[in-house]
Amino acid sequence: MAVNVQKNNPLALDTKKNTSAVEKEKEITKTLTFAIGEQVYGIEIPYVIEIISVPKITRVPCSDVPYYIKGIINVRSKVVPVVNMRACFGKEEVEYDEKTCIIIVSLKDVSVGLIVDEVRDVLSVKQKHISKTPELNNVNNNKFIEYILEMDDGIKLILDIKKIIFDENMI
Amino acid sequence: MATVKIEPGMESMVDVYIYETTQLLEQLDEILLRTEQANTFTDNDINEIFRIMHTVKGSSAMMGFENLQQLSHKGEDMFFIIRENPDKMQDIAFVYDLVFRMSDLFKAEIEKIQNVPDAELTDFSDIISELEKGAATLKGDVDAGIAGEKADKAKKDAEGNAAAIANASSNTTVDGALSVRVFFQEGCKMENLRSFLLLNKIREEAEVIDFVPKNVDTDSSTAEVIINDGFLVTFKAQNNETVLRLIENAVNVESFDIIDTAFVAPTHSEENTKAAPKSDIAKPSTAVAAKSESAPAPSQHISGGNADKSSAPPPEASNVSAPGKQSIISVNLAKLDQLHDIVGEIITTESMVISNPELDGLKLESFLKSARELKKLTGELQDTVMSIRMVPLAGPFQKMNRIVRDMKVKLGKDAELKIEGETTEVDKSIVDNLNDPLMHLVRNCMDHGIEDSVQERLDAGKPAKGTVTLAATSSSGEVIITVSDDGGGIDTEKVLHKCEYQGLLTKPAGEYTEREIQNMILLPGFSTNDVVTEYSGRGVGMDVVKQNIEKCGGTLTVDSKHHQGTTFTIKIPLTLAIIEGMEIQVFDTTLTVPISCIRESFKVKNSEIFRDTTHGEMIMIRGECHPILRLHEKFQIPTEITDFEDGILILVETDVRSVCLFADRLIGEQQVVVKPFPAYLSRYNIKGAGLSGCTIMGDGSISLILDVANLMDGSF
Repeated sequence: MAVNVQKNNPLALDTKKNTSAVEKEKEITKTLTFAIGEQVYGIEIPYVIEIISVPKITRVPCSDVPYYIKGIINVRSKVVPVVNMRACFGKEEVEYDEKTCIIIVSLKDVSVGLIVDEVRDVLSVKQKHISKTPELNNVNNNKFIEYILEMDDGIKLILDIKKIIFDENMI
Repeated sequence: MATVKIEPGMESMVDVYIYETTQLLEQLDEILLRTEQANTFTDNDINEIFRIMHTVKGSSAMMGFENLQQLSHKGEDMFFIIRENPDKMQDIAFVYDLVFRMSDLFKAEIEKIQNVPDAELTDFSDIISELEKGAATLKGDVDAGIAGEKADKAKKDAEGNAAAIANASSNTTVDGALSVRVFFQEGCKMENLRSFLLLNKIREEAEVIDFVPKNVDTDSSTAEVIINDGFLVTFKAQNNETVLRLIENAVNVESFDIIDTAFVAPTHSEENTKAAPKSDIAKPSTAVAAKSESAPAPSQHISGGNADKSSAPPPEASNVSAPGKQSIISVNLAKLDQLHDIVGEIITTESMVISNPELDGLKLESFLKSARELKKLTGELQDTVMSIRMVPLAGPFQKMNRIVRDMKVKLGKDAELKIEGETTEVDKSIVDNLNDPLMHLVRNCMDHGIEDSVQERLDAGKPAKGTVTLAATSSSGEVIITVSDDGGGIDTEKVLHKCEYQGLLTKPAGEYTEREIQNMILLPGFSTNDVVTEYSGRGVGMDVVKQNIEKCGGTLTVDSKHHQGTTFTIKIPLTLAIIEGMEIQVFDTTLTVPISCIRESFKVKNSEIFRDTTHGEMIMIRGECHPILRLHEKFQIPTEITDFEDGILILVETDVRSVCLFADRLIGEQQVVVKPFPAYLSRYNIKGAGLSGCTIMGDGSISLILDVANLMDGSF
């Protein structure tokens, strides 16, 4: 599926440019953070539709569907596929507990539910926090990371929703 | 170059414009095809074509699409000449090609307007100059010079037109002519174009003798004149009142006065006296309305514009049938889709309420009675919504006429298209998805089906003229569309050879049945054409056709007899959305089997099961042998019920095959709203696994709908 995703990213990732102190403090976007294991990830707020607890997931029994797509769920009469982010990142899968959440993200009318260990916070992202993704292709995580936030309480990897939704070969 | 600029306030008109113009162009194509076949224009045809061109021109001008306006103007010119000189109609074959091309360009442009915001208006000067040349050829030497003077051509033509009309009419008797001065609502804008549209409307009913100011369609400065002095039109009609009513009801018409014809048309001296008896209408503007005695405020009828169109029925029976209330409206498809979705939700919610687990064990007599009532009503609601969405197949079928015609010319094959059962109705969304597949199939029939040489046909004892047949019938929830030709049929050896060459074979060539080989032409990448033509041979096409049809839940099969012809059969469900389903359970998974596929369900003893050489399990029912498909194995569901005696068998069949499905238990029958799998999953071949979609159950859980045909294909 060759979908042309427009660059409607509010962030202009031009870190080489000398930005003034005022610009550095300006809020560019908000991001929803969540944890998978110890690592904290983020999704830009405009993509997030809602956060729900894990309902009954109906498996799609088709050998073609990769293992990290866990099945489909009913979100208010809409059928939404769910992806286990742990499996997606090549981590060991764990049982769902009361903290496990599904974050429904949507882009161009395509919705996907992302199963995450725990939802943390909504953060305000400023220019000074942003640093570029290291160009390391051997780390398969990097494929989904659009950029990295360096904050006082640690590093946050911001997911590239366009890739997650439209990239054919996620892994 | 100008871009598509839609004036503020006109956006809502664009849809209407596109809809109307597309329809008119289709009408035009239809007439042209018919007349080309009959090889003669009747007066009616020419008038109709003229009217279409006129309306298209007017509305294009109104929307500000100058290029389209010019284009239709030229087309109109050409037919004007044909109309005025019916004796010169011997050699007009080139006219068809020109006009067909024009209509194609028109359609392409409209599509562009529809889909590309701020698109550039296409420059049509090439085709326009060709049309001019064509018109000149038609006109003969007399005024061929006009074609050369491009600069003020438009203006001149319009004048020429008007003059010609005036001339033509001055020769005829103008008995009963009437002059009307029309004023438009203040600030309605583009008075000149509105006048032009009004003029066109009047022309449908009456003969327009004269109008002032001239050039309303091309000269926007006339708008001011119309605002100040009104638009003066003189016409002669069978029934003047019909025309007056038409003017009265026209959009944005504020009021009109009827003027004694003597003032406006002094050249027609004769008619002064003849028009006199009409003076009872001709004096005050309220006179017409005064005739309608039942009306409480007579003046309203004249000045009210179209607001009270329906409330002012003509009291006297005129010899022309009164314009009845419009009984058909066009609705935005998105709204219908929405309505359709809501009905689906209602049905789901209804079963959520009625079969709510909290009601279990309660004695609810009146509740159940009301529930039944509700179920009946929602059923009716659903049927009505479905019927709203049903459209006849005539539209896509008629379009094929054009394709056959074009290909006939290009390929030099003589063939005709037969259409049967075009009144068969299917869901609108299906019709939209059928256009492309039908086009490909018809092209294929023309290109590959019908033999290249007439001699070949004659040798085979067939008429020289080939026939392509498009037929549709509906039977038990399905529409069956066949596209067939009486050509050479599929050469199975050639197909097999090609497949081998292209590496499309999956088993030794000798093992293929004839039917399998025929269906190989539907494989992606397959093409028997050695030479790529404009129409086919690129090896895309047939598989795309198949995919498109499968997308709307249908199937495509090929059946061919060598030297006798090929038949493509498309089977599609009447409606996609709501089906009767049987819910079955396999461990924690709920599956829905369409009731239409189920023959029976039954318990078996292990002793009744026997195995074939490859350990495939089978069962004999009434002398027929059916294979058994264990659903839990097929879908890898870890159920504990693996012994046939603990579960249940469901015999399902398609028209060619049957299979017994083994499940844990039946849950029950239910109407389900079919939902396609989410777009995110469309990259995976779920359909191939035997699942056609999913549905949301009363308790909010999701049930997967089995696709019986694919389930069999994928399993045996």
